Amino acid sequence: MADLKTLVMGRKDVADLDLETELPPELMTVNMGPSHPAMHGTVRIVLSVDGERIVKGDIQPGYLHRCFEKEAEHATYTQIFPYTDRLNYVSPMINNCGYAMAVEKLLGLTGHIPRRAEFIRVIVSEVSRITDHLTCVGASAMELGAFGPFLFFLKVREWLYTWLEEVSGARLTHSYVRVGGVNKDLPAGWAEKLDRRLTEMEGVMVEVESMLNLNRIFHDRMAGIGVMTRAEAIAWGQSGPIARSAGVDYDVRKDHPYSVYPEFEFDVPLGTSGDCLDRYLIRVEEIKQSTRILRQAMKMIPDGPWIIDDGKVALPPKTEAYNTIEAMIRHFKHIVDGIKVAPGECYTFLEGGNGELGFFIVSDGTGRPYKCYVRSPSFVHLSATSKLIKNHLIADIVPIFGMINMIGGECDK
Amino acid sequence: MTDVNPNAAKPAVSSEAPGNPPAPIPPAAPLTPAAPTTVTLTIDGKPVTVAKGTNVLEAARSLGLDISAFCYHPGLSIAACCRQCLVSVEKNPKLQPSCQQTVGEGMVVHTTDSQSTLARKQMLEFTLLNHPVDCPICDKAGECTLQRLYFEHDNADSRVDVKKVEKPKVVDLGPHIVLDAERCILCTRCIRVCDEVAGEHQLEMKSRGDHQELTTAPGQQLDNPYSLNTVDVCPVGALTSKDFRFTMRSWELEATPSICNGCATGCNIEIHHNNGRAWRLVPRLNLDVNGHWMCDEGRFTYHELREQRLAVPTVGGLPSSWDKAVKLAAERLAGPLKDPATVAVVLSAQASNEDNFALARLAAAWKAPLYLTARPERGDRADDKLRVADVNPNRAGVLAIAGAAPLGDLAALETGVNTGAIRAVVFLGHDLPVSETALRRLRELDCVIALASHERGPVKAAAIALPIAAWAETAGSVTNVDGKVQRMHPAIDPPGLAVAGWDAVARLASAAGVGKTVAWEHARLVWKDMTAQVKPWSGLPWGREVRPLALRFAGSRG
Repeated sequence: MADLKTLVMGRKDVADLDLETELPPELMTVNMGPSHPAMHGTVRIVLSVDGERIVKGDIQPGYLHRCFEKEAEHATYTQIFPYTDRLNYVSPMINNCGYAMAVEKLLGLTGHIPRRAEFIRVIVSEVSRITDHLTCVGASAMELGAFGPFLFFLKVREWLYTWLEEVSGARLTHSYVRVGGVNKDLPAGWAEKLDRRLTEMEGVMVEVESMLNLNRIFHDRMAGIGVMTRAEAIAWGQSGPIARSAGVDYDVRKDHPYSVYPEFEFDVPLGTSGDCLDRYLIRVEEIKQSTRILRQAMKMIPDGPWIIDDGKVALPPKTEAYNTIEAMIRHFKHIVDGIKVAPGECYTFLEGGNGELGFFIVSDGTGRPYKCYVRSPSFVHLSATSKLIKNHLIADIVPIFGMINMIGGECDK
Repeated sequence: MTDVNPNAAKPAVSSEAPGNPPAPIPPAAPLTPAAPTTVTLTIDGKPVTVAKGTNVLEAARSLGLDISAFCYHPGLSIAACCRQCLVSVEKNPKLQPSCQQTVGEGMVVHTTDSQSTLARKQMLEFTLLNHPVDCPICDKAGECTLQRLYFEHDNADSRVDVKKVEKPKVVDLGPHIVLDAERCILCTRCIRVCDEVAGEHQLEMKSRGDHQELTTAPGQQLDNPYSLNTVDVCPVGALTSKDFRFTMRSWELEATPSICNGCATGCNIEIHHNNGRAWRLVPRLNLDVNGHWMCDEGRFTYHELREQRLAVPTVGGLPSSWDKAVKLAAERLAGPLKDPATVAVVLSAQASNEDNFALARLAAAWKAPLYLTARPERGDRADDKLRVADVNPNRAGVLAIAGAAPLGDLAALETGVNTGAIRAVVFLGHDLPVSETALRRLRELDCVIALASHERGPVKAAAIALPIAAWAETAGSVTNVDGKVQRMHPAIDPPGLAVAGWDAVARLASAAGVGKTVAWEHARLVWKDMTAQVKPWSGLPWGREVRPLALRFAGSRG
């Protein structure tokens, strides 16, 4: 019999197989994306599949490339804020803060930003983190068939967007932060409104969790899917919820504290199994931790200026600019020439919605950066995705990709 | 006293004491160091060695220190009236204006100590006391010295709570210039430009204190041929050019180095342009040619760049394509070329070296005689400063290119045309000053080919006209009255189908079947050929000029 097998198969190494075994099939190539309902943003995955099993996933990002880094070289330091809004556009405030911190580090202003401005930055950042996680969890649940949580979470997200709109004037692309502080003070009654929204959100969270956490379908689709070990997470440079789901205890807010984060009490949730379910649970828990930070910040925020009192960095008040030549010149030089940053380079990073978000800026002494590089977490996470989806079924791409929370704007830059 | 006769400075010989035999003086006795022509001083702790007679401000600039100043201009005399450049000089009880303070050996200067920093801040606050809030409507905004110095050296809030002194806002000073007296910071640079550059005393100050005001001298208006230099040197927007004001914001302009094509002096200029359109010409520093200045007439030459342009090849006055036009030209030239003496190839003193060289090369391939056209001299404009009578930028260049080859004059050309001895004309440019008779005769000939940037004069009479780029639109060079070859860089795109003149010549040559020796891919290759063949220019390097460019908007990118 064995001889016959050798004869038929023509290969010695498969001689042990029984005759029922199918011949290794030819791999089929399937395009997933760039435009696909389950592919967030526009990313293309060229799948080589053996039936339903993924043998290789070639991930091709770049469809949302907007030349952020090159554009930034032609804009003044202040004009770059609107571009940063469009990086991770579900948490633009964090991008704003990260970029501002980088420029401030170059200017030597780190630690000199008014305390109220630091608190405002933390508050808007944490609200942004919540909107980020709400989007990620809601959309992922929807793609697995749970449409309710998506609607519930987007309703909550809209409440928070409305609050952010009151603060900044724009629903999505806030451009609220400035070098040296923030654009304007928080509006009257901000704390009460935010508190009410957070309380309402906590109610929705209970509802959604009761729908998902013990849901058999959700569980089966998430648990054990896209597993990444701790060592792999570190080797692949993962950060944020992805790394923490694998048990990597790394949160920039705790490990490299910035702004006024050391003054808050909050916990960093860690996963044990490194699968999609852990990523989901971590994001839900981080929403709660952000709420915790927000409630502390509401009580602790001091009065005072919201932008640094430095004519070379901050724009003068409009009434001054219109009525005195001094402020007019300052305004003019800011707008036309940009903030003059001494030659040098720096890297600054903070905890974004998806992980470590970094800005590397090189200044040549003019009002525009010589180079502005973004270390975007989505890009790093996406690089590991082909490994995560390997040997899974095609249907598993949906939860894996969903929990990676790849944001095209940030990934493709 | 910078030169010392080395022979007068022999070492003292000490061994010539009585009784001792005179020691032989070694033939190559070491000289004592020449009397110092340089001075070493310390500015902000940094030692710097500069030529004797330099002022402290220039010495500081050589160290990269930017001492704020309004009234100081390296091309003008020292006024020291703005008091903005005050620095502390050790062993001197009072602050010194660094523009007026000559360097001394061992001098110790501080520019960042509290005393001079405070003086600088206070002077700026003082200067801004009565300055109007005009930046949004001021033409100087963006290139304003007052804006820059305030932002860098003062940057404090206004403390004024009284009404500002009001002065006349739109004062017509002359044909080209408008004064806004409120913006004036009384630095007197413009007065000195008139006195020292133009040699005419046309501006003065009147009144004193906060009522001091710039005005024209009695019975004068600001109409000297160098008047627009006052606008360049004005550190604020007090003097504005009627030609430029309210047309374009300075920070939106890009600057390209070039050479003025207004006359044979070849003043170095910057073309300030935006979106394919030149908006103004300003002088570029070149101490060998034009110093800091240029004349008003030269500044207005950019208007020609957008007037009456020839944008497409024409055949019989009707638009055509390049291929058809050069093919037809070659066909029509074939007959006359059987006797090359009947074909006149006309070079132009208005065109660049490259264009003339290419055409001369084509004429050589045809063995056709060369002629030269130029705009007539204008003796009235010549002075002992920058303006010369020859209004052609490149007469010297054409003469160098022609070399020993005979260069027919226009009278000969006209006679030839009128008598029928010349049956075909290929000419460069639109400055062929021929008589009405000759023009009529040119119209009758079916073989008059113009390579021109403008549709003017004889170009309209040409049977075939090929559009070429004007001086600001292509890389080229011109040779000034002193034989200095100066490079021009392309600032804007040529209109329509126009190409560089040498390229048009190459296309014509290719169609005429002599394209082997008259073909180039790039202006650099024309330059290479030209410098190899034209004797006086052998070895001239292509590429960046040795002298670094000092663009006004060197900071602009993109």
